[in-house]
Amino acid sequence: MAGIAVLRKEFLKFLRGGVPTYFDSSKTISEFSFALVDIPFYVMAAYREKINELQELLKEDNINFKLFRKQCFRGVPDDSGLRPLCWKLLLNYLPPNRKQWKEALRNKRDLYKQFIDEMVVAPKDGRTDCPRIDVTMDDHPLSINPDSKWQTFFKDNEVLLQIDKDVRRLCPDISFFQQATDFPCQEIVGGPNSDSIRLHNRVQYTALSAGTVERKGIGMNKVSYTVRKAQEDYAVLSSGQEAHWEVVERILFIYAKLNPGQSYVQGMNEIIGPIYYLFATDADSEWREYAEADTFFCFTGLMSEIRDFFIKTLDESEMGINGLMNRLMRKLKECDPQVWNRLKNQELEPQFYSFRWLTLLLSQEFDLPDILRIWDSLFADENRFEFLIYVCTAMIVLLRENLLSGDFPCNLKLLQNFPSMDVHIVLDCAVQLALSCSLSS
Amino acid sequence: MQLVLVLGDLHIPNRCNALPAKFKKLLVPGRIHHILCTGNLCSKETLDYLKTLASDVHIVRGDFDKISSTYPEQKVVTVGQFKIGLVHGHQIVPWGDPESLASLQRQLGVDILITGHTHKFEAYEHDGKFFINPGSATGAYNPINKFVIPSFVLMDIQSSTVVTYVYQLVDDEVKVERIEYKKN
Repeated sequence: MAGIAVLRKEFLKFLRGGVPTYFDSSKTISEFSFALVDIPFYVMAAYREKINELQELLKEDNINFKLFRKQCFRGVPDDSGLRPLCWKLLLNYLPPNRKQWKEALRNKRDLYKQFIDEMVVAPKDGRTDCPRIDVTMDDHPLSINPDSKWQTFFKDNEVLLQIDKDVRRLCPDISFFQQATDFPCQEIVGGPNSDSIRLHNRVQYTALSAGTVERKGIGMNKVSYTVRKAQEDYAVLSSGQEAHWEVVERILFIYAKLNPGQSYVQGMNEIIGPIYYLFATDADSEWREYAEADTFFCFTGLMSEIRDFFIKTLDESEMGINGLMNRLMRKLKECDPQVWNRLKNQELEPQFYSFRWLTLLLSQEFDLPDILRIWDSLFADENRFEFLIYVCTAMIVLLRENLLSGDFPCNLKLLQNFPSMDVHIVLDCAVQLALSCSLSS
Repeated sequence: MQLVLVLGDLHIPNRCNALPAKFKKLLVPGRIHHILCTGNLCSKETLDYLKTLASDVHIVRGDFDKISSTYPEQKVVTVGQFKIGLVHGHQIVPWGDPESLASLQRQLGVDILITGHTHKFEAYEHDGKFFINPGSATGAYNPINKFVIPSFVLMDIQSSTVVTYVYQLVDDEVKVERIEYKKN
């Protein structure tokens, strides 16, 4: 039983950070609970104190943002549903003044409802009075007029097709996004023509069921149907239900409609995933009910800060993704010139691995619980995403032994598949680097 | 919502060399979900062209399709709540006669019957059922009529309504009409 000491250490970390480390299958629950009994009393107390401190901070009418950020930076505990609330504050969705929350929330949620009505529920107008009219000058499905509503409809479908593909495979290692939500959008699933306005139906191409008619003798008809099964990867939910991925699809679609300049870019789904997951699993059902609207505005807020990474024309600029990767390389050179030299000599460009780290805020490198913990710190960072550079630098520095000994293919593989590691080691290292850099400058 | 393109009697290359350019310009891939064709394509190239517009193509045999083609004589297709019968129409005498067509519609038990052969666009309700003849998409002549207006039909099928758009090439200008049919 070499495990106990390790387990205890792991559990202490878990308490410190408030993020459950997942138990790997070799450790049984009973072993873990054994470790639990063994936790010193003062650690439990410190953990509770941390929750209390945050709660105290949030209780005040005017939240002390500086202190609040500092607390969040060290990780928000999972308990008592604090994290969703903290993120809403950090992403500037909720104003720091508690008294304004109610009104702000109501306004935003109403606004979002309006968006749904405009963009999803009624994208086309149907005049049904006239049985036969000339529409040569009006709208028709094959219209090539740029103002045509049908034209817009088909253009939207192109974006939607991409979104649809991406959200269906969101976080495949958890079943959450395939499950039905408790709060489906009633306007959409409850309406009489719900089949046609559900977004994923708009881009689903299926073959019609068809049968050929065979005639045998006089007046004998036999219709033989060829059964062609439509490809459906996921179980269909019964009518009136909506899976979580459908909700995410809607949010992204509305975002793309509202930001035509940027539209939807692959990768946004990975950004929105953790946010939606967090909000939709809020312990408080009142918050959970509005997870969709809240996610939309938090996502929009977050995107307004990182949208430059997703715009191709800005790639070369200081704020674009290349500028960011250059900053990462400069930071690495500053912190660990040896590793930097090694990568430079091997011509292992940052584009090969850090592109994904930076654009997707590390959401592909770690598992969901770890991402939540990392994002606590990233969002709490005062000049946002400076700390992201430090985390990425720390990830490289932590691999320095392997990098210094490995050749190009090994190193590339290592950096592209970052080995699973306790997230607190990475974060601690990042903090160290940040401290030493601020001291030296 | 499903967009279904209905067309037929192209007679390429026997009577016409191609679909009118103005039609070709309108028919872009990615918009149409399904194609119902009343036959008389007369060449494999035409079928290949249709398949570029939508992958789901349903065809019945016309009197000028090659003997070797494997298209069935009649087909029944289901779109949403609608059962649609598809026949070329040369088998039904008198050609294009509403009573004869209605009798076939009853035999097949369909809500919408689509036929071709007459090279003349028709869309009407009869006894609560809907009858469509998309005409000839190329405007090919037939023994009765030398001058034929090229036409095809696009159906927008929603839960219980069919909105039919008729595209006709009149004096080299595309004319579009909209006709609605509700299932009761």
